[in-house]
Amino acid sequence: MPEQLTISLNEILFIFTRAGFGVNAPIGVSEDFARSNMWLAENGFDPSLCSVAALDSLDEGKSSLSIERSDDGFSGPSSQYLSALQASVSVLDGIKGEQNVEFTVANVDSPLLVVAALGANQVESWKVCWCDEVGADFQVNFMANGQWQIISDSASAIELSKGATMQVSLLDDTQPALEGNIQRFDSKVEKAKILQTGIAVHQHWDAIYAYFSRCLVKSTAESRASGAGAGLVDTD
Amino acid sequence: MPFSAKLDEAMMRRPEQVMRLDRMGSSFPTRLSFMRALIRRMSKEQWKFERLRQDVDTNGFGVSVYAAHTPERTYSLVAFTQNIPADMRTDRVIAEVWDATFNLFDGVPTQDDIDYLAKNTPKQEGGRFRPSELSLARANKSLRLFEHIVSSLAEGKQPDVDLVASVGYIMRTTAVYGSGKFGCADRAKIADREECKVSFHMELLAVYLIRWFTIDLVETIAKQRGGNKAANLEPHIRQFIGVGNSTGLGMAPFLLKHPVLIHNWVTAKETALARVRSLETPIKGSLGAFTQSVRQVSQHLKEWRVADKIQSARIEQLEGEVSELSNWCDDESNLVKPYPWNGIYQFAEDNFSLECQEMVVSLVIEPHGALVDDLADTMLATTVPQFEAGMSLAMLKSIVKDYYAWATSIDFSLSESQHYFWYYSEDKLEPRFGSKGVDDGVDQEMPLAIGRDADDLNEQLKTALDDSTVGEFVLQCPQFRHIIRRIQNTALRPYAEVQDNLLGETMRPLDLLRFKLAFFGASKFDPKSDLWTRISMYQGAPMPDQLSYADHDDWAFPIRPKNVS
Repeated sequence: MPEQLTISLNEILFIFTRAGFGVNAPIGVSEDFARSNMWLAENGFDPSLCSVAALDSLDEGKSSLSIERSDDGFSGPSSQYLSALQASVSVLDGIKGEQNVEFTVANVDSPLLVVAALGANQVESWKVCWCDEVGADFQVNFMANGQWQIISDSASAIELSKGATMQVSLLDDTQPALEGNIQRFDSKVEKAKILQTGIAVHQHWDAIYAYFSRCLVKSTAESRASGAGAGLVDTD
Repeated sequence: MPFSAKLDEAMMRRPEQVMRLDRMGSSFPTRLSFMRALIRRMSKEQWKFERLRQDVDTNGFGVSVYAAHTPERTYSLVAFTQNIPADMRTDRVIAEVWDATFNLFDGVPTQDDIDYLAKNTPKQEGGRFRPSELSLARANKSLRLFEHIVSSLAEGKQPDVDLVASVGYIMRTTAVYGSGKFGCADRAKIADREECKVSFHMELLAVYLIRWFTIDLVETIAKQRGGNKAANLEPHIRQFIGVGNSTGLGMAPFLLKHPVLIHNWVTAKETALARVRSLETPIKGSLGAFTQSVRQVSQHLKEWRVADKIQSARIEQLEGEVSELSNWCDDESNLVKPYPWNGIYQFAEDNFSLECQEMVVSLVIEPHGALVDDLADTMLATTVPQFEAGMSLAMLKSIVKDYYAWATSIDFSLSESQHYFWYYSEDKLEPRFGSKGVDDGVDQEMPLAIGRDADDLNEQLKTALDDSTVGEFVLQCPQFRHIIRRIQNTALRPYAEVQDNLLGETMRPLDLLRFKLAFFGASKFDPKSDLWTRISMYQGAPMPDQLSYADHDDWAFPIRPKNVS
């Protein structure tokens, strides 16, 4: 086994869908969560880094899947973070279904997952801005043809950003952008690289896998003998 | 469409007729099936095949590499063989050892690659693989046939053809993984390559090379055992040897998780049938080819012998019906009418079992390669179902009413309607089929209860306002996101959905398996229970040195070789 564990995009789809389900997110929401993680991986990020925080937060009751829609946007219960699993699909539905030009999404636990949901759905000409609970500012711009960029001066990784009230709006060249370092991405190019190398995952992978494992059923002698195909000894 | 034909839309069978479990469980391969299409591609593009390495001992244990050279690139089968205890030879996912293990490698492996794979491939699910590996597979010997062929050839004799026919393969695969499993290459890596675009072509290339490997292996061992006295298999016996396969529940979730793909597969097959039925006059020679194939299929049925009582009875009935069809075709007045192919199909639908109807579908499509073979290239998917948040609930309700009456008419309050559930075992993630009230794991049920979920949604929609949107609805009811996405897809792709209750007491997973395996091109379905079946793959298909033959595509419903005692 290679020292560095690498996984495939299909494994991300399989594992993350069930990891979301493992913290009681609805299966449809979990499917979108997994596709968001695929997009993160396609763009060179370790998807387990921000996702394990979102799953932990839900599992520990610090985040909630409950969401309310107001004229301004989306919010969750005041005493908890709004889970990025729910926030991401709601924002996406808002963009696709309502054609609104701006949303506020309050107190999201893992804002990069909201960004990833937009990226995974090929959203173009939108931007997402936020300031997180430690005061770090981020802006993500989605341009055409899979081109996107992160603008930030923060020293901390975007995957670890937490507790953010996000502004999602149309990308307008006439408005000043956030000042900071710009990281540019071309999703198609990044994905082509990843398909040749696989996705490197690090220490948080075990925690993701543990959530996934909640969807597995303990094996018994009876289920082993009766519930599956083929015989126990097959010589012919 | 390469051969001009008007498609009469009325000739398309409806999804509610096609996508029923009993009919799906009566499926047969057609000339559009993936193995058939792959063989045609190999022949047309003049692929070259080469054994690059065979380092095996006198028992055949070691490593071998077999290459397929396409016009653009090379794919290599890396095969490891080993001695295993007889009592550990199981076809189940939970197996730990196998007689042979394989990877299909993207290119030609270096010694470093082979060293890496030697540490991982024999472990199968316990190993880790890389994007250079396109598939992962394993196979077990038919101990009976393997030894019989080796000892016969070592003595300079040909094997007993009756025994060859009764087993059909030297080795039996028990899993062929692809598409990113265990770290292997994602499908996206190869999806743009012409030879990889159609579903499962790389997995089935691996199986084709495995077949060649098994035949080469027995001949090699026989030579080492018999020396100069040893013989090779006669070409027509070689051609009749396929690769076995044991297939269990793993295939069933796949069908349900890939609705776009399934729609496209079924649409291709149904379009092919409709094109043929739409022919007002037969293409020259096609009726003769058909009547000839009806006679050949009678022999195929005589050789299709299984222990399963249900399938045996079905085969017996099928034999009688094919005989009746043959007699009907012998009456020229039945075939000289306009639209003779529609007449044949309609006669079968009006008079015969589903098993016979589906066999007739295969038989009438068979002589129409020029008319239908282009459809094989459409049997793929490049999109995934999208969630359309802007759809009105009025529209969603209308789709449920039009496409899911089969689900909303089921009374899910009855225990027999929710008798089973699907789950993954922690035991190597083996898919299992549990009984409610008997087996643990209901809380971890796989999301495959399509009918029940559609019915639940339908109930919830009754109190929802028509002019609100789906996006607004799922804010309050996020548990329906999954089924709504599925239903929205079905409105675009109506062959996507199995229109039966997959939880019901009478549900047989076997029907799903046979449906999918028929698309692969498998034959000789040999059910071992309602949960798994054995099959043959590539039986009758040309070997690599026969791909240039004019009859390379003539291997539907193979029959045992003649002129060999």
